[in-house]
Amino acid sequence: MKKVRCLLFFLFLLLFNNWVIAQKKTITGKVIDKATGEPLIGANVLIEKVKGGVTTKEDGSYSINLPNGKSVLIFSYVGYASQLITVGTNTTINVELVATPSTESEVIVIGYGTQKKSSVTGSVVKYKNERLDEVPVARLDQALQGKMAGVQIQNLTSEAGAAPKINIRGTTSISAGSNPLVVVDGHPVPDGLAFVNMADVESVEVLKDAASSAIYGSRGANGVILITTKEGKADKARYNLKASSGIKSSYKLHPLMSVTEFTKLHFDEAALRANDPTVPVNSRNLITPGERASYVIEQTLLDGKGTDWQKEAVRDANMSNVQLSVSGGKKEVKYFVSGSYQKDDGLMHHSSFNRLTLRARLDMQLGKKVKLNLNFNPSYSTRERPATSFIDFYRFYSFLPVKHTDKTAAFVNQLPQWAAIRPGDWAQARHFSNLTYSGLMPDGTTWSSGTSTVNPFNTSNNSPKSIMETRSINSADYRALNTSDLTITLAKDLDFKSKLSAFVSYTDGLDFTNRNSTADGLVNRGVYNTRLFIDLLTENTLSYNKKVKAHSFNFLAGFTAQKTLINESQTTGIDFPSDNIRTLNTALQIDQSSTNSFKNQIGLLSYLGRVNYSYNDKYLFTASFRTDGSSYFAPGRKWGSFPAVSLGWVASKEKFIQNVNWISQLKFRASYGATGNNAIADFAFVDLLYPSNYAFGSGVGTTTLGVALSRDILSNPNITWERTFAANFGVDISMFKSKINLTIDVYQSKTDQLLLRQASMGFTGVNETWNNIGKLRNSGIEFELSTNNVVAKHFTWKTSANISFNTNKLLELGGESFQLNYGERNEIYRAGVGNQLVQFYGYKTAGVWQSQAEIDDARAKGLTSNLTNYFTPGGLKLQDINNDNKIDVDDRTQIGSPLPKFTWGITNNFTYKAFDVSFLLQGVQGVSLINGDAFYNESRRLNKNYTANRWVSAMYPGDGKTPYFNNGFNQLLTDYVVEDGSYMALRELTIGYKLPTKVASIAKLSGLRFYCSVQNAFVIMANGYRGINPEARLTTGAYATPLILGYQRGGFPMSRTILFGLDINF
Amino acid sequence: MLAIVITSCNKIIDVAPQSNLSTLTYFKNTAEVNAGLTGCYNGLQAPMLTEWMLTDLRTDISRQGSASSSTVGNIELNELDMFTVNPPHAQVYNYWSNTYNNIRNTNLVLKNLAVSYDATSGTNVYGNITIPVAQVDRKRMASEALFIRAYHYFNLVRLFGGVFILTEPILAAEAKKVNRSSADEMYKLIIADLKMASDSLSNVRFSQIPTTSLGRANAWSAKALLAKVYLTLNRKSEAIVLLNDIIANSGYSLQSSYANVFSISNEMNSEILFAIRYKSGGLGIGSPFANTFAPLNSGSNVVNGDGSGLNTPTTELDTAYVAADARRALQIAYFGTGSTQRVYTRKYISPVTIVRDAENDWPVIRYADVLLMLAEAQGFSASSIALINQVRVRTTLPALNTTTINTVELFEAALSNERRLEFAFEDHRFFDLVRFGTTLTSVNAINTIRANFAREYARHYSQYYAPVPTLAQLQANINVDKLLLPIPQREIDTNTQLVIPQNKGY
Repeated sequence: MKKVRCLLFFLFLLLFNNWVIAQKKTITGKVIDKATGEPLIGANVLIEKVKGGVTTKEDGSYSINLPNGKSVLIFSYVGYASQLITVGTNTTINVELVATPSTESEVIVIGYGTQKKSSVTGSVVKYKNERLDEVPVARLDQALQGKMAGVQIQNLTSEAGAAPKINIRGTTSISAGSNPLVVVDGHPVPDGLAFVNMADVESVEVLKDAASSAIYGSRGANGVILITTKEGKADKARYNLKASSGIKSSYKLHPLMSVTEFTKLHFDEAALRANDPTVPVNSRNLITPGERASYVIEQTLLDGKGTDWQKEAVRDANMSNVQLSVSGGKKEVKYFVSGSYQKDDGLMHHSSFNRLTLRARLDMQLGKKVKLNLNFNPSYSTRERPATSFIDFYRFYSFLPVKHTDKTAAFVNQLPQWAAIRPGDWAQARHFSNLTYSGLMPDGTTWSSGTSTVNPFNTSNNSPKSIMETRSINSADYRALNTSDLTITLAKDLDFKSKLSAFVSYTDGLDFTNRNSTADGLVNRGVYNTRLFIDLLTENTLSYNKKVKAHSFNFLAGFTAQKTLINESQTTGIDFPSDNIRTLNTALQIDQSSTNSFKNQIGLLSYLGRVNYSYNDKYLFTASFRTDGSSYFAPGRKWGSFPAVSLGWVASKEKFIQNVNWISQLKFRASYGATGNNAIADFAFVDLLYPSNYAFGSGVGTTTLGVALSRDILSNPNITWERTFAANFGVDISMFKSKINLTIDVYQSKTDQLLLRQASMGFTGVNETWNNIGKLRNSGIEFELSTNNVVAKHFTWKTSANISFNTNKLLELGGESFQLNYGERNEIYRAGVGNQLVQFYGYKTAGVWQSQAEIDDARAKGLTSNLTNYFTPGGLKLQDINNDNKIDVDDRTQIGSPLPKFTWGITNNFTYKAFDVSFLLQGVQGVSLINGDAFYNESRRLNKNYTANRWVSAMYPGDGKTPYFNNGFNQLLTDYVVEDGSYMALRELTIGYKLPTKVASIAKLSGLRFYCSVQNAFVIMANGYRGINPEARLTTGAYATPLILGYQRGGFPMSRTILFGLDINF
Repeated sequence: MLAIVITSCNKIIDVAPQSNLSTLTYFKNTAEVNAGLTGCYNGLQAPMLTEWMLTDLRTDISRQGSASSSTVGNIELNELDMFTVNPPHAQVYNYWSNTYNNIRNTNLVLKNLAVSYDATSGTNVYGNITIPVAQVDRKRMASEALFIRAYHYFNLVRLFGGVFILTEPILAAEAKKVNRSSADEMYKLIIADLKMASDSLSNVRFSQIPTTSLGRANAWSAKALLAKVYLTLNRKSEAIVLLNDIIANSGYSLQSSYANVFSISNEMNSEILFAIRYKSGGLGIGSPFANTFAPLNSGSNVVNGDGSGLNTPTTELDTAYVAADARRALQIAYFGTGSTQRVYTRKYISPVTIVRDAENDWPVIRYADVLLMLAEAQGFSASSIALINQVRVRTTLPALNTTTINTVELFEAALSNERRLEFAFEDHRFFDLVRFGTTLTSVNAINTIRANFAREYARHYSQYYAPVPTLAQLQANINVDKLLLPIPQREIDTNTQLVIPQNKGY
């Protein structure tokens, strides 16, 4: 403490060096930003042709002595156009500087350092945080959607707190992870995008090509996202308070029929069939006794008003965010401190994500040669996840009330086993089973089940609402990212930087299921999860900058070591005396089968080096090298090396281009390099053994310890690094005084020794194996355009747009020509050499069989099939792809691609006087998905999208494409379930109003802004898409691998959020 | 500080698994190999999840519980019930994969004990062993593993015909060079495995078996299984020798009542030559079948956590038990009263606290089976009828005699019926029916199953969702080809190097 005080005193003394003693004529005044009216601190005020000068103070004021004979003052500030002012008789000169959108001075954060944007030779995209925190989403990654070319962000679910999927320049890896490396203030953090407070972010840089990401070596292949947080400026304490609150609602729900509508549809269809002589009388009305009974229940017991289960699942949810920051400091000690609280309730009940963050950043100059930067960022978040998936709600029948009413309770009481049910108890489908029913049908006839009993809805599942309300899945995350950077200037131009940082995250979860929640008679159950994740990092780099005449050099050499410790445990207690006392001490029994703990350690050791050279800022050259040793691989296969080289030519510095008026800047870039990927399972090189106990002995036996191999994956002792070699060629051009800025990048990457989780022959006893086979190529082109369309006194209009095209091609698959991969319904995803990495593989349909006559005709011509129930009128008709007159597995072919052709985003910003409007249109084009709902009878039965225009009989074949009910194929993938997942969304819309400075200053505020922002104001979905959220995909279970991609089932609705906020500076 | 960091760093990337044993370091002594062997016993459980679907469900024992359901799981069961299985069938693959997974476990134990199979001579041979294991332990452990391997291959060959023979754990790449073997080659291996097991394993009488060894394979269970293999291959005389040996020397015997055989307080009794054991209590080794077979929507009335209503007894099976037959009450029960009654099998139902965690073992070879196998091997004779009567009498049924059972046909019908009633829901019926094609003259699998379709048609098969098959269509589904299941399509699709022949008819 004492030392700190001494230090502060010393720093204070240093400030006095700037004291200026008055001479001759003294000019005073204030320098402010023309646009914002904010004072500019530290702006230079120089006298023409005189050495030295002064800088403006915290309030922007300055005072300078003008020697005799001098009359021109130069006002300059980084990022602003300088002004020359001839001093007349006035001794007070106030200056308004205009910010320049110059790219010359812009600094880009790159791996292990920063670089002037003008000398960047790789492909790096920077997103500077201006209003990121006004986007009505809870996570930083979600806010970046549509903003950067080549960075594809997809919200796979709209569940609160869920991470979106991020792909940078396509999929370079198959089975190793495809997530980019996220680096927060220099520390690679696995879930960095989850806990960073958006308002703390200064900028986000994405390293896309190998040359820029190769410095991250083994982890760079999927691209690198660098997040830099704000630092304090030498200024008085400046406070910023930002608060917003709003409402989130479902954009669209499934068009479901109530049981009443469903029954009417069947009766209408029966009426149609009655006109069709080909339909036998007893086949006209195919509605089952169970379905009739459910109609009777809905009409008589529920008075015709069934339950809208989708509405039971979702709600209008609240979202709010408050954050306060203060920054400032002196030249020697600068601080930035912020705190934030965010509350994000999910669309579904019992879904929420709340987060508290604190950040304290100190930048200290300790003497002339030592700089120390400390950054503390603890955070606490809680998350509740719904216990039932949305799909369980939209496949539930409306005749079932949520809770028993007087009428329904009395009705089910007639069965002895449900005699105890009372009004207000949860209603379950089984309560209505095994009863006899009778009542009026829609056509006016009376139907009775007679003496035989009927099960209206044959399911052993409890209603989704009752499970949702009686099971709670909560977790709390405690995270802290603490970094310290010490920079010592060893000699002139030679810096040593040592970083020590620690990321600690602790997750504490409880999944508690109440007594009788999921089924009758089940005791309550509490699953306690903990996960401790400690990641320690040290980075030590030497950098040397030298400029000799026109040659400038920058050398970087370093060593880093990272150690990750993971400690997980799960304890399951059952049979607690009460659902409300949930601590393990009261549990009657521990369920050993789901109690375990797991410990792991991962290590990474690296050496890196980089050299930048430029001649006259015109010819640029960068080369880098990194070698990594990883604990993921077997001894002898641990080390991999990752070199990269890039060149740049700033053509606009050439004389012959300087004469071209409309070109402000023109730069060509080319790069080539290697990056790696080691994101595979731990210890894939060895077969691990798992507990596999058995009971021997008399009576019920005694448990005996046993071990067995994994059922899931077979080891491979030979696996090693997967490497991606990528070339990038780019052009940056600014035209018409930087009014139009265009960046074009063309790239091609080739991954070889692909780490593949490959299907193995089932008879090996294991379903998959690790392998290093195959080659994959990605190529694409990206455009980033930003324009300043109108810059007038009261009106400005800026546009930034990006579009990226990516295609990939599997070049080799370890000697195999293809590999088939299977999803949950055994639908097939084919990875074939010479094709895109993932292709849906199944049958093409040619509408439906319109009639038995059509089938008989086809069979008479020799058509055969060994597929069960294939020849069914109203069923799907498959195409005979190989023309052998036999419909069989050989007729499967490619029927769609889950990889988009292109993704795009356009942001427009308008300001008119105190008003500002910005909106982002974002879209994905040319992507197919498998609609899993169409696979499942129970989830499509009530959905109008699947019943409209369906086949009814030979005379009423509908649109000829829609099969009747379940006369399709449950197990076979056909193009009937492949749909277009393209969409265009007005993703963000923000309207703001800024109080004029004069008005604000009355309240002693330096700025006050009100805004309203809307997410998903509208979304245009593709024709033929029968779901509610074109972005939703399953990613768990079989879908965890990039080879099984594009399956959608049970996705949450998209959310539409409207948020009102205010932003106060004082 | 930098120096300290660098020197301590190489350790960072040399880490070993901290939570799992690995094949690199484990199996270095008797106890560790024994743990691997225990894992093989555990591995017997997984295929049982689907075994009943591929066996009893496809016979006149049981039918699909929710015929009118269109959920995918039920449709898969419908397909098995109606013999309309396609090669990608998920449950067929699950059985296949779980069975082969445990074959891998047994092969791993055998490899560590340096036991290898010589396909030319059809024998297992002991090689040089590198780990310190006493010969007596080595023989016992190897033989138990061989018993389990033979049990799996025997089921596979009966369900799929000649399949892939693996006698050691192999890498994924090597597997693509292996094609199907013939059924003859499979039986050669099965017999070799069981011969070694029956020669090497303990042959002490049941009463002298150390209680800690109950549940392990022994010479008697190996001999009984081998007898069934011989019977299946119509090598009756060899079967008779083994079965007589068991009856004379094993000390195993029938329990006094049928209920005693299955009582959870009387597990591993004198009638159980081999069972797949389950143990409740949240240990992860409980039986799922109490919940799987309890009636759907029965709440907690039958078993806590409701039932799935699967493996439903056929009405015909219920009526096949005569009133005096004590076996009926144990196997078949009704939930609800009057018209709301639903039939289910209660053979494996005992109280559970955790869902799918019941105590009941699943018998594989019972002494009653030994007696009835001997009757089957001997054929129509007074002594064979006497063997059947041993089983009948303890169920309080009147004995049969040569006056009423006076033809080969009547004898065979009686034997077939006795086996069906005795071993209902023990997954025997399908294999019995197929085997009767060679061991008996008048009982035929296809006719029996077609007759079952006819009997159950009105009350069951006509309830399927459209398109409802006609009885003629249903009966046409079952032919001699369909007695074998298809090789899973995944196996054919995954190997792009070899053409793997599919079974005829698929």
